[in-house]
Amino acid sequence: MTKERVLVAMSGGVDSSVAAALLVEQGYDVVGATMKLFCHGEDVPDRPCCSLDSVNDARRVCEQLGIPHYVLNLESRFGHDVVDNFVDEYSRGRTPIPCVRCNTFTKFRDFLRKADAIDAQWIATGHYARVVTGELRRGVDENKDQTYFLWGIDRSVLSRMILPVGDLDKARTRARAHAMGLEVIAEKPESQEICFVPDGDYTRILEQRLPPDAPSLARGPIITSSGVVVGEHNGFARYTIGQRRGVPGGFGSPMYVIAIRPQQRAVVIGTRDELLGNGLIAGEVNWLTDPARLGDRVSVRVRHRAPLARAEIVRLDGDELEIALDEPISAITPGQSVVLYDGQRVLGGGFIESARQHRNSLPVLAA
Amino acid sequence: MANSPVYLDHAATTPVREEVFEAMKPFYGPRFGNPSSTHRWGRDARAALDEARERVGRCLGARPDEICFTSGGTEADNLAILGAWRALKAKGRKAVVTTPIEHKAILGAVHQAAHEGAEERFLVMTADGVPDSASLDLLVDDDVAVCSMMWVNNEIGTIQPVPELAAKAKARGALVHTDAVQAFGKVPIDAQKQQFDFLTISGHKFGAPKGIGALFIRRGVHVEPLMHGGTQDRGRRPGTENVAAAVGLARAAELTLAECEAHCARIQKLRDRLETGILAKVPDAVIHGRGAPRAPHITNVSVPGTDSESLLMALDLRGIAASGGSACQSGSIEPSHVLSAIGVRPDLASAAVRMSLGVLSTDQCIDRVIEVFPALVAKARQLATAH
Repeated sequence: MTKERVLVAMSGGVDSSVAAALLVEQGYDVVGATMKLFCHGEDVPDRPCCSLDSVNDARRVCEQLGIPHYVLNLESRFGHDVVDNFVDEYSRGRTPIPCVRCNTFTKFRDFLRKADAIDAQWIATGHYARVVTGELRRGVDENKDQTYFLWGIDRSVLSRMILPVGDLDKARTRARAHAMGLEVIAEKPESQEICFVPDGDYTRILEQRLPPDAPSLARGPIITSSGVVVGEHNGFARYTIGQRRGVPGGFGSPMYVIAIRPQQRAVVIGTRDELLGNGLIAGEVNWLTDPARLGDRVSVRVRHRAPLARAEIVRLDGDELEIALDEPISAITPGQSVVLYDGQRVLGGGFIESARQHRNSLPVLAA
Repeated sequence: MANSPVYLDHAATTPVREEVFEAMKPFYGPRFGNPSSTHRWGRDARAALDEARERVGRCLGARPDEICFTSGGTEADNLAILGAWRALKAKGRKAVVTTPIEHKAILGAVHQAAHEGAEERFLVMTADGVPDSASLDLLVDDDVAVCSMMWVNNEIGTIQPVPELAAKAKARGALVHTDAVQAFGKVPIDAQKQQFDFLTISGHKFGAPKGIGALFIRRGVHVEPLMHGGTQDRGRRPGTENVAAAVGLARAAELTLAECEAHCARIQKLRDRLETGILAKVPDAVIHGRGAPRAPHITNVSVPGTDSESLLMALDLRGIAASGGSACQSGSIEPSHVLSAIGVRPDLASAAVRMSLGVLSTDQCIDRVIEVFPALVAKARQLATAH
């Protein structure tokens, strides 16, 4: 019997390396590939072009596993689907989540086409999540669970996905790496930052890609929720909901960014209470199971690693949905994702369009 | 039945020939001396090096002092362009002329010259992949320090009109370099009859090891060295000479020329059969540079509706080694600057697959590619329409 072929997306990190190694162990015909997604060129002198070190690590792991390795240039598509969108979202006063779009469009669409081209029935990644009986479930390691970033993929892709480290916790993944002799990558540190933001400073990317007179990077007023101007900011794209840095003091209680109004170039600040929302509207909703129904009770997550919250679906309208939260949540941020769960199962998700204020909280006068 | 692997990337590199390996061995053993030493070991190494220089010279119609051994094609190209430009800029010759389809070694060196004050001039290419004659007349004038034109293009195999350029450039008092890395053994080269001042060859393209090449520098032409240090090779190329590799280069060059006629006839026949076979099954396949004279070992084909990255991966997994445009240092395939320069549509350029034949190519290899390539292409197109 011919072994089934699987194309593994390998970043050179420990998770995807162990994923590949486990698949080799399980007898698959494994092909490794590293996606080239962006190139800083000479902008970042201390980093080699095109994530060269990552590519080299992935190549060495493949060499050790005795499997072929390729580099796939998805730079222009990633630039269009992920980086351009990232910049647009900040320009619109939102806080984007590029990893979701990378999974949706780059890893589980464009990369899947490469699998088709080499007759690979399966694709695999090092995500901490599981596919069980055609459904996406949270990874066994709740701390590492990455389903928050995976809700946008096409449901049909689930039947071709293998997520080999979803059954492990991070410590066991590292232990497997050592046990399989993958010393090259076994102790590589976690990457937390956005891959195409070289030093964690996303505003540099905005400054490079937006015109110098872009409204989102220009001065504007800092106002309170009642519309009083209390200061000036240096571009609303430098702010996100819940942020305290760059917010003026002297109000008696700590103030946070509670809204961004791009039309007025305004950053709105308010108290901790004003940051609370008891519901939200999401767009571009995608279902990984049969669509939920009005009135369904679900668990939701509105930020990576935030605790799950109980909620009810109160409106369903095409690819838009509205949910009401049992308890208010702080800093519900437009542009981030909301992911809906039923127990371990991922039902689907969407991009947060707006937060709904709690009925019992003080009315926002200038809303 | 398992198919044996098919290597169709001879333009990238070739295996070291057994005879070459044998010729080199003593210099990794008893004849290990440094040619600069005055004792017997040194004299022995020096004799071998001198002899290698003479033999390489004979293969190019050159005198021994006109051969400068380098680490390969890239260094030789850089030495020619930058060495000549730096030597001539004081004399008021400011321009460097080249084509947009050169190897990156030339384009990079010309770019560096521009960084140092040179004026870069690029010849206009025709759709067939050769320079437009009118642009030659226009760009080659009295301001030109050095002109460089590759003899055979490494991606599409077209033979460039080097003698024509050389005649025009010499009439204007400019120096002429040609990158003959893909041309050696494929196109007749004779420094006594042809007018170039510099010519680059690279050993690993014809059965010598990687890390050895040579630059022909016509007697009386001065170049500024790229490196500084000892007086090896008349100060043009300081550093202890790679005696074994130089000997290997000489042996490989002689063997290549001795077999040139039969070898070229053989691979041309195979290449033509490959192209006919592909076109028979994929009639809309585009073979680049087919309208111009071509060297016999390269074919570059684009099939509309496919992409080279996927095709090359699929070919490799079937045991067939070919290549795309130039690879960046990460190993990802970049769109070919050569195909863009000759006006190939971007979608076709990103579908280009280069297959290059040589010593390892057999009838069975060609049969296999004629069977597998059209099948993969059909599959890719089917997938493209499905999405």
